[in-house]
Amino acid sequence: MSRDPVLCVRDAAKHYRSGDTIVRALDGVSLHVAPGELIGITGPSGSGKSTLLLIAGLLEPPTRGEVRINGQPVAQPDAELDHLRDFRRRNIGFVFQKANLIPFLTAAENVALALEIDDVPVREAHRHAVDLLEGLALGHRVDNRPARLSGGEQQRVAIARAIANDPPLLLADEPTAALDSVRGRQVMELFREIASERQAGVLVVTHDPRSLDLFDRTIEFADGRIVAETTSRQAPAETVAAQ
Amino acid sequence: MNLALKDIRFGLGRFLLTVVGVGFLITASVGMVGLYRGIVDDALLIIDRIGADLWVVQGGRAGPFAEGSAISSTMDRRVEGLPGVDRVRRYVQSSQQFEFAGRLRRATVTGLDYPADGGGWLPLIRGRHLASGHFEAIADVSLDVAQGDRIRLGQDDYTIVGITSGMVDMQGDSLLFVTVSDAMAIARRRTSEEVLLARASSGRVPAEAGTGTSSVEQESKIAAVLTTLSPAADADRIEATIEGWGDANVLSRADQHDLLLNQRLWRLRIQILAFTVVLLAVMAIVISLIIYTMTIEKLHQIAMLKLIGARNSVIVGMIAQQAGLVGSGGFVFGVGMAYVIFPFFPRRVVIDLPDLALLFLAVAAISAFASVVGIRRAMKVRAQEVLS
Repeated sequence: MSRDPVLCVRDAAKHYRSGDTIVRALDGVSLHVAPGELIGITGPSGSGKSTLLLIAGLLEPPTRGEVRINGQPVAQPDAELDHLRDFRRRNIGFVFQKANLIPFLTAAENVALALEIDDVPVREAHRHAVDLLEGLALGHRVDNRPARLSGGEQQRVAIARAIANDPPLLLADEPTAALDSVRGRQVMELFREIASERQAGVLVVTHDPRSLDLFDRTIEFADGRIVAETTSRQAPAETVAAQ
Repeated sequence: MNLALKDIRFGLGRFLLTVVGVGFLITASVGMVGLYRGIVDDALLIIDRIGADLWVVQGGRAGPFAEGSAISSTMDRRVEGLPGVDRVRRYVQSSQQFEFAGRLRRATVTGLDYPADGGGWLPLIRGRHLASGHFEAIADVSLDVAQGDRIRLGQDDYTIVGITSGMVDMQGDSLLFVTVSDAMAIARRRTSEEVLLARASSGRVPAEAGTGTSSVEQESKIAAVLTTLSPAADADRIEATIEGWGDANVLSRADQHDLLLNQRLWRLRIQILAFTVVLLAVMAIVISLIIYTMTIEKLHQIAMLKLIGARNSVIVGMIAQQAGLVGSGGFVFGVGMAYVIFPFFPRRVVIDLPDLALLFLAVAAISAFASVVGIRRAMKVRAQEVLS
């Protein structure tokens, strides 16, 4: 039995005009992310990793190509992405280098906000947020504001917020860049856990080579193209057909 | 969860300072309008309280408030004889400065036609009305004299027998009530040199005093005759009769109102209105800038909200509620401050509920405008700006 990929990017290109020249930030990239799969995207700066994340996250339309999420075509060159906010809320979680927590909300409120925005009742949202934070060993920090949390704790709260709605796809852009190696490893292990236990497709842009062993696949970018792909672990059995 | 309230609680001190700043602007607006209302109230006080239907004043003049007026002190006898006239009183008013308790005081001495008028219409807070034809006075509390105090006016000492509250004239000077004859004597005050010069010019000598006439010419003029009509009287006919005499003019209570509001105080009204408009414009700019700045500071968070899929209504609600809270908080603080501090102001500041309602509407409109400014900026934020 096979399952549809969570994310399917087909021949995606993103071209910018800079004066008289055209910058090809992404140039005909295709990739699939299966449920439960953790994929690492590596490559030098300017290789198109973050652009891929913007296109996959429905934050930028591709100049060419198509993005499908759970089999549904959602982004083409003429897509009006602001209209996809509801879709994004239900289907994609984001984690960035900076936690980007809302400073006037506590850790639990930051997580609960994502649920309340999705019309989950206030009490239920708060309870679920606390459960999530306790699951990430942050039970003692639920009532603390971001300023009182360490970098690693903030990033874990950001992850809790990203997975609060149980999205099938999680996109992370260098989530460990601001963390030391121990905390960076912990965060990557968390992504591994989320992929395995929640069966979410997780796409992580990273420069950190120390956690590559946790990825199912590692895709290397250069000049807006995929130049190499390595299978680090045994890919989930049910995802092969998606390729 | 209410993001607006959470944000306010997070920066409570700053929010309160903002509210205080806006509040003081509102206090100033309340003060501008209240000062005008106070001046109008003070100006109309005597006209409304004294209870005259007609004011008989100097011919060709619109006295005694809008213009000077001097008529014969016996004019009241002529008016009293007209059919339909129920009651007449002489009216005299003059500004006086005098020293009391080592300090220079200023009062508008107003004559009461005792015994017909002992000041029964005056709202006393202490003491009694006039009970003697001479040397008694009723003072307003703003003159800062006490019951039983003796003050020197002209050549005589007057005992304060009663204290009123809120009885001032258009300029804010305290009203001091004495009998008409005393008021005329106070107004006639002359220095010894003046008397000597007057005698020299008239050729009279003090010895002639024994003949019953003064050695200096005595001007016996009053400002107006206050006329109360009987219920069935034909006011138009009485007015026409008096005006037919040629040396007198007649003004009704409505005429006096009109003269004061639309002529005497017209410039002041326009000036205060203009100042109020300027204040409201400043308030609009200040509140808009505050809301815009608050929005600019939250652009990253707004981008994050958009990224996690927050509907525009969540963002609009946050900005609009904060603008509303700045406006309404400022209004409550501003009006509260107005009630606390304006009683200590030297001039009366009248805080009228309809004026407050209008001001509230203006503040609400300004807050709405300010939130639109902030919301327009917030709507331009793109979710991907989180990455910047």
